[in-house]
Amino acid sequence: MQTDIYRVNVGPIHPSTHGGLHAEAVMDGEIIQDVIVHLGYVHRSVEKIAESRTYQQFVPYTARLDYLATNLPVLGYCQTVEKLLGIEVPERAEYIRVIMAELSRIASHQIAIAATGIDLGATTGLMYGMRDRERIMNIFEMTGGQRLLSSYIRIGGVAADIPDDFIPAVRSFVNDVPQMIDEYNGLMTGNEIWAARMQGVGILNPEDAVKYGVTGPNLRASGIAYDIRKAEPYGIYDRLDFDIPTGSRGDSLDRWTVRIEEVRQSGRIIGQALDNLPEGEIIARVPKTLKPDPGKDIYHRIESAKGELGYYIVSDGGNKPYRLHVRAPSFINLMVLPLVCRGGVFQDIITNIATLDPILGESDR
Amino acid sequence: MNGQGLIKGLGITFKHFFQKEITEQYPDVMPQLAPRFRGCLQFEFEKCIACGICVNSCPNNVLSFETEKDENSKKKKLLSYTIDFQHCMFCNLCAEGCPKQCIYFDHNFELSSFKREDIKMVYLRPAEMDMREEESTNGQEQQESKEQKQIDAMQKALQKNPGKVLSKILEQEEDIIILSELMQSDEKTAGKIAELMVKDKEKAAKVAAGFVNKAKKNRAKTETAGEGGDAND
Amino acid sequence: MEALFVNLAAVLSGWLTSLGLSPIWADTVLLFVKWIIVITIITLNIIILIWLERKVSAFFQERLGPNRLGPFGIFQTIADAIKLLTKEDIVPSAADKLIFKTAPMFFIVVAVMLYTVIPMGQGMEVINLNIGLLFFISIGSLSTIALLMAGWGSNNKWSLMGAVRSVAQMVSYEIPLAFSLLGVVMISGSLNLQDIVAAQGKLWFIILQPIAFITYFIAATAELNRGPFDMPEAEQELTGGAYTEYTGMRWALFFLAEYTNLVAVSALMATVFLGGWQGPWLPSWLWIIIKTYGVILVFFWVKWTFPRIRMDHLMSFSWKVLVPVSLGNILLTGAGIYFCRWMGWC
Ligand code: SF4
Ligand code: SF4
Repeated sequence: MQTDIYRVNVGPIHPSTHGGLHAEAVMDGEIIQDVIVHLGYVHRSVEKIAESRTYQQFVPYTARLDYLATNLPVLGYCQTVEKLLGIEVPERAEYIRVIMAELSRIASHQIAIAATGIDLGATTGLMYGMRDRERIMNIFEMTGGQRLLSSYIRIGGVAADIPDDFIPAVRSFVNDVPQMIDEYNGLMTGNEIWAARMQGVGILNPEDAVKYGVTGPNLRASGIAYDIRKAEPYGIYDRLDFDIPTGSRGDSLDRWTVRIEEVRQSGRIIGQALDNLPEGEIIARVPKTLKPDPGKDIYHRIESAKGELGYYIVSDGGNKPYRLHVRAPSFINLMVLPLVCRGGVFQDIITNIATLDPILGESDR
Repeated sequence: MNGQGLIKGLGITFKHFFQKEITEQYPDVMPQLAPRFRGCLQFEFEKCIACGICVNSCPNNVLSFETEKDENSKKKKLLSYTIDFQHCMFCNLCAEGCPKQCIYFDHNFELSSFKREDIKMVYLRPAEMDMREEESTNGQEQQESKEQKQIDAMQKALQKNPGKVLSKILEQEEDIIILSELMQSDEKTAGKIAELMVKDKEKAAKVAAGFVNKAKKNRAKTETAGEGGDAND
Repeated sequence: MEALFVNLAAVLSGWLTSLGLSPIWADTVLLFVKWIIVITIITLNIIILIWLERKVSAFFQERLGPNRLGPFGIFQTIADAIKLLTKEDIVPSAADKLIFKTAPMFFIVVAVMLYTVIPMGQGMEVINLNIGLLFFISIGSLSTIALLMAGWGSNNKWSLMGAVRSVAQMVSYEIPLAFSLLGVVMISGSLNLQDIVAAQGKLWFIILQPIAFITYFIAATAELNRGPFDMPEAEQELTGGAYTEYTGMRWALFFLAEYTNLVAVSALMATVFLGGWQGPWLPSWLWIIIKTYGVILVFFWVKWTFPRIRMDHLMSFSWKVLVPVSLGNILLTGAGIYFCRWMGWC
C-alpha cells in the first residue's frame, strides 16, 4: 500500500524529551523511518563563559552541565584544574568526594528510572524514584547547602567538612538501596508490559556503540565492560571494590537494568568510602589566583552518570582558561538515537530517549 | 512472567496505599532546612570593610559596591552595596571569601516578588552610622580633653580636702580616713578615684569601698601576723 | 427504602395522569424526569469520581492528593470545573470547525445514552429494553466516532495519531468485549439486563464465568481508554492525543464523558458479573452503587500501577490472546450447559 511519509516533531516542547530535545521523526504510519535530532535549545555557551571566568569562578557553572548529577561534572572540572596545576587533594577530601560523586550518580540514575517510568506511562514509578532521590537531595542540602546544585566540591578539595548527621543519613540511605531496587524491579522491570515495551527495542550493538563513541551505562548495556573508574582510575577509585554491570543485548531493557545495577554498585562504593573515611584536612592550600604555565593544556575525564565526561583546558598563563572544552557524554550518546529508533514504532522513540538518558544541559552546553 | 509481574506490581502499589504519605504540607508546615541551607543573600552594612573580595569572587557579577575615600582617615568608606539577586546562582563563593562574614545566606527561600526591580537589593549607608562615626572621631577628641580637665581638678580637690570629697562616695567616717591615708601614700589610687568620680559616681563608690576593705584586711593581717610572731617568740 | 425511587416514580406518574394527561404523555414526561435525574446523578458522581481518582492515585504514590478545598479536598473538582468553564475557548484556525466543536458533545451524549439500560435497582431503569446488553455494547462503541471526529477536526498530527489509534483499538477490542459477554447471555438466556440480574440470584456469574470476567475487564479497560490502554490520549507520547487541541470546557467534556463511560461500564460489570443490585440488608440501589465503586477502584488500581502498553502489542494481544480466549470461553460455556442438561442439573 502506498502511504505518505510524514514528519512529527517530538519536542522541543513535549512531555517526554527531558528538557528541550527536538527529535524530528520521519514516519511511515506508525513505523519510524528516521529520526533527526536537533540540538541547541538549551545552549548557554558554557564553554565561552569559561574563557571570561577565573578558574574558581567557573566551578559553579560546571554544576549546571549535568544538573541531575550535580557533583560529577564539578568533580571532573576540579580534578582537571588540579591536574593542570599539580594540586594534591587531601585524603579526607578524596573520600568525601567519592561519596558525593556516587550519591550524585545514584540521584541521576534514580531520575532516569523515574523519568523512564513516566515516559512509559507508569506514573507511580516516577513517584517512587523521586521519593528515594529526595533523600539524596536532603544529604546534599545538609553538606553543600543546596539541594540540586549544591556547590560543594571546590578546586583542591571540598567546601566544608561533613556535618555530624551526614554519616548516619548516608548509611541509612545505602542500607535501603537494595530495598528500593526491589521496589523498582517489582513495579516496573518485572512487569510484562514493561518488559514487552523494552525488550528488543532500540538495539545498539557493541560495534556501533564503539563507532559512535557511546559511553557510560549505554555502552555497558551493549556488553562492553568499560568504565573509566576501572579503566583509568582517578581519585581513589583504585582502592574501592565494585563491579561493572553489563548487558548482553544492548536493548532498552538492558540499559534500564544496567542503570538499576549501577545504583546498587554505587551503594557499595559509598559503603566502603564511609568505612575508610580518614580524618584530616578537607581542602588543599590553593593560591587565591590560579595561574597555570602558559601554553599548558590538559585533558582529564571521569565516569559521569551519563558516560565519559572530559574537560580539555588550554592555559595562556592567565587566571582564566584560554579555551575550555567539555566532552559531554549525553551529546555523543544522543547521536545514536536515529540508529536505535529506525524501524521501530512511534512509541519506541520515547522509550529510547528515556533509556539513553540524555541530559540536555550537558549536550547543548 | 505470564502475569506474575503484573500481580506483583499491583501488590506493591496496594502496599503503598496504606503507607504513610510523605508529602510535606508546605506552607502549613514549613520544611526542615539544614543549617547550611542557602536561601536569601543577606548583607550587614556596618561590618563590611569594603575589601572587595566578594565582588571579585562572584562569577556572575551579582555584587557591586560604591566607596569613597575618607579624607581624614584615608580609609575606604562604603557608600552603597548592591546585590542584583536575579543573577545569583547560590554558589556561596562570596560568603566563603568574606573576611568579616558580613555577607551570608539566611534560610528565607520564598524569594518570589511581583516586580523585577524588587529582586535587586540595594543597601545604602545607614545615616546613624555616619553620626556615630563623627562622634567617635571629631567629637571624641573634644570630649576627652574636657573630661581630662575635670579629672585633674578632682584630683587636686582630693589632695586638698579628702574628707569632704570622699564623703560623697563613702558613708563611714572611719572609711574616709582610711582611704585618704591610702591616697596620700599612693598617687595612682587617687588618680583612679578622681577619674571614676568624674565619669561614674556609683562605680567610684564601689571601687572606693573595695579599696577600703582591702586596706582593712591588710591591716588585720599584719596584726594577726604580728600576734602569731609574738606567740612563736 | 427499597422501593423508594420506584414508588416516587409511581406517585409522579399517578399525579400526571390525574392532571388529565393521557398515559402515553405521562410516560414521556416521566421518561424526561428520569433522564434529568440520571444526568444529575452522573454529574454529581463525576465530581466525586475525579476527586476519588486523584485521592486514590495519590495514596498509591504516597502523596496526599487534593486536601485544601473542603474536607479532604472534596471541593477541588468543583473549583477545577469553574476554572475550566471560565477558560478561554480556543479553536485552532486550521481546525475543521464544525467537527471540532461537535466532537465533545457527541462524546458526552453517547456516554450518557449508556445509562438507558443499566438497572440501578429493582425495577429501576430508564427503559427496560429486552436487548439491553446489545444496546449497551453498540452504543458504547460509538464513542470511537467522537474521538475520530476530535482527531480529524483538530487538524493536528498528534490528534490524528491519537484518533487513528483509538479507532484501531476500539475495533479490535469490540470483539473480545462482545464475545466475553456472550457466555453470560448463554447461561441466562436473555439480553435483558434485568433478566441477567435475576439469573444471578444464587450464584454470581463471576464464579461461573471467571475467564469471561477477566477478558471483559481487559477489553473494557481498552474500550474506556484507561491506562494501561490509554493509547488515544497518551500524554507522554502523543501529548494528549485526540484532546491535544482542546481547551476549557470542551476539553472538560471529554474528561466528563470518559468518567461517565467509566461509571457505565463498571455498573455493567457489576450487573453482569457481580449480581447487579442484589444483596442482603441494604436496598438494591445502594448495592449497585457499592459494587460499581468497587469495580471502579480496581480500574484505578490497575491504571496507577501499570505502564502503557505499546500499540502493536495492544493489537496483537487483542487478536492473538483475547479473541481466542473469549471464543474458547464460549465453547466451554456451551459444553458446560450441555453437560449440565445431560446431568439434569438445570
Ligand atoms: S552566591 Fe555566587 S553568584 Fe550569588 S552573589 Fe555570591 S558569589 Fe555571586
Ligand atoms: S568580602 Fe565581606 S567585607 Fe569584603 S567587601 Fe565583601 S562583604 Fe564587605
